Amino acid sequence: MNGAQHILDAFHRHNIHTVFGYPGGCIMPLYDALVDDVGVEHVLCRHEQACALAADGFARASGDIGVCIATSGPGATNLITGVANAYMDSIPMLVISGQVPSPLIGTDAFQETDILGMTLGIVKHSYLVDDANALPAIMEEAITLAQSSRPGPVWVDIPKNILLADVAAPIATKAETPESNCPDVAEALAMLRSAKRPLLYSGGGVSLAQAEDSFRQFVQATGMPSVVTLKGIGNPGKGNPYNLGMLGMHGSRAANKAVEECDLLFVIGARLDDRATGKLDGFAPNARMIHIDADAAEINKLRPADLALRGDLNQILDAFTKALSSEPLLISDWQKQCKTWHTTGGFQAADNEESLAPISGPAFVRQLSKIAPDNAVIACDVGQHQMWVAQHYEFDHPRHHLTSGGLGTMGFGLPAAIGAQFADRSSTVINVTGDGSFMMNAQELATIRRYNLPLKLIILDNQCLGMVRQQQELFYNNRESHINLDDNPDFVAMARAFDIPALHIERTDQIRRGIEAILAYDGPMLLHVAISREENVWPIVKPGGSNKEMIDETRRTSASTKEQVA
Amino acid sequence: MSPQAECSTPSYNLNCRMQSEAAALERLCQVVRVRGFRISEMSMSSGGEHLDIALTLEGSRPIAMLRAQLEKLHTVEEVLVQPLSSVRSALG
Repeated sequence: MNGAQHILDAFHRHNIHTVFGYPGGCIMPLYDALVDDVGVEHVLCRHEQACALAADGFARASGDIGVCIATSGPGATNLITGVANAYMDSIPMLVISGQVPSPLIGTDAFQETDILGMTLGIVKHSYLVDDANALPAIMEEAITLAQSSRPGPVWVDIPKNILLADVAAPIATKAETPESNCPDVAEALAMLRSAKRPLLYSGGGVSLAQAEDSFRQFVQATGMPSVVTLKGIGNPGKGNPYNLGMLGMHGSRAANKAVEECDLLFVIGARLDDRATGKLDGFAPNARMIHIDADAAEINKLRPADLALRGDLNQILDAFTKALSSEPLLISDWQKQCKTWHTTGGFQAADNEESLAPISGPAFVRQLSKIAPDNAVIACDVGQHQMWVAQHYEFDHPRHHLTSGGLGTMGFGLPAAIGAQFADRSSTVINVTGDGSFMMNAQELATIRRYNLPLKLIILDNQCLGMVRQQQELFYNNRESHINLDDNPDFVAMARAFDIPALHIERTDQIRRGIEAILAYDGPMLLHVAISREENVWPIVKPGGSNKEMIDETRRTSASTKEQVA
Repeated sequence: MSPQAECSTPSYNLNCRMQSEAAALERLCQVVRVRGFRISEMSMSSGGEHLDIALTLEGSRPIAMLRAQLEKLHTVEEVLVQPLSSVRSALG
């Protein structure tokens, strides 16, 4: 077997059957090996960035590792944004790039880049393979490492001569994952029991650890009110009476108020990102904090924890649930208070179907949430539409909400949706995007058509970069600067050029029919939704400001949460 | 940087043992820089399959944060940190 065949062998041993890639000079030996391999489906995207983002979407939706492949030089550099996106959101990803033959490295050869050096800051680990006999062990380690503990992308850069070389080393055996010990939660439990106003704050770490069930059992056992980060949306499940929704810059008043008033913040699988906490000085000022995470480096990184538990979230949460089942928390007054805040300070939007008025983004998303099946996967892009989905779509599971949280990558949604559709061909996958984001990876319409993916594409088109326009309006004296997109193409005609049918709607009374039409269609379909240019995402906290200083639609001035909600 | 500011910036000695690999030193230095520290002195010795790297660092962020980030690197085996003032007093 040569090096390329050993890579495919590693895929098979780890049940990797779908990869996203784009061929080119130095990676050609691997593509040659793919010709004879019927067990690996290679998805040809139309840009390497989309390969990486599709692999990311595949991993988020499935919980399995995502794999992307590109050639050296521009192929590898085009992957970078997608890999950085996976790194920021801790997505398990294997990145394979071709490299110029070993003797040519460092000679400025055709399509040579030092991709190892360029990507040090956006990978969990990386390898430049310099010995063909080391390749099987490197592949084994890379695949295992990408998925272990806190997941992340692992990049393997392989010179062409290594791909072609006969490999004498034996096939690597699968690495064993060490078992961790049952955690001691006694001290944390005592803190929890002594708290009068405990609040659960959960993030993307819950689903990364595949701890959704343990998390929900824990929530049920405690009855603790909860807030979620952008990546934690869906953790508590649909209809949880004490879920206050997303906190932070575009969080609900109720969620931010509960954080302000709680006396114990119970943080699970979250890294206290600045978009969630706002100015740290004013964040949860009355609370002690218990921080539970798989990554020791997140503990005390931004705010010191009064108590920290590091390890497998399933084991830790199960230990809490077991201990709490015999004696529940006595927090009924606090629960009642949080429910009141949720009623008065939760996300609101008008639901007027009959109006001939222009379509409001939040109202559209609420309708979509009601009409789409519970298990639909929503892949967002970045901007106002992303926040409207986070605020108004009710998710039953965190893996149904694909969003670029850490990096905020415009252009994420369409390729991520493609990846999610490959993760489950039978699921309903909807890309909700904006006109700015859509154009960043619009070439992937060709991928949808090629594989006849039944994806549903929804463009909320306000003919501008809405989130930038909103911040220019609110924080830069309404001095609009380079946000105008009123020369967008005709998106309906554009979709049809790729043989994808499309509809246009612009009035509120067309929302339901538009959504039902695309969901009923047996194949890919695009819905172009014209929305107002002036609509903003409310509430908003000024970047760098405290979450107490939320601004809303009726009062475009700073006002304390206390005044608004209490 | 003014002499006053220089005096007030904490300094540390950091010793790190890493597995020997193509980008070991770059990997270490990249994390040090991104996490807010400046390398003022550096030495390295290679022994078999590992590298021993000694850095003198300056930075106002918590050194424990840097240490935790370095310990996450797959090829880092051990990180030891000492405030430079305590090193000096031990020598003195």
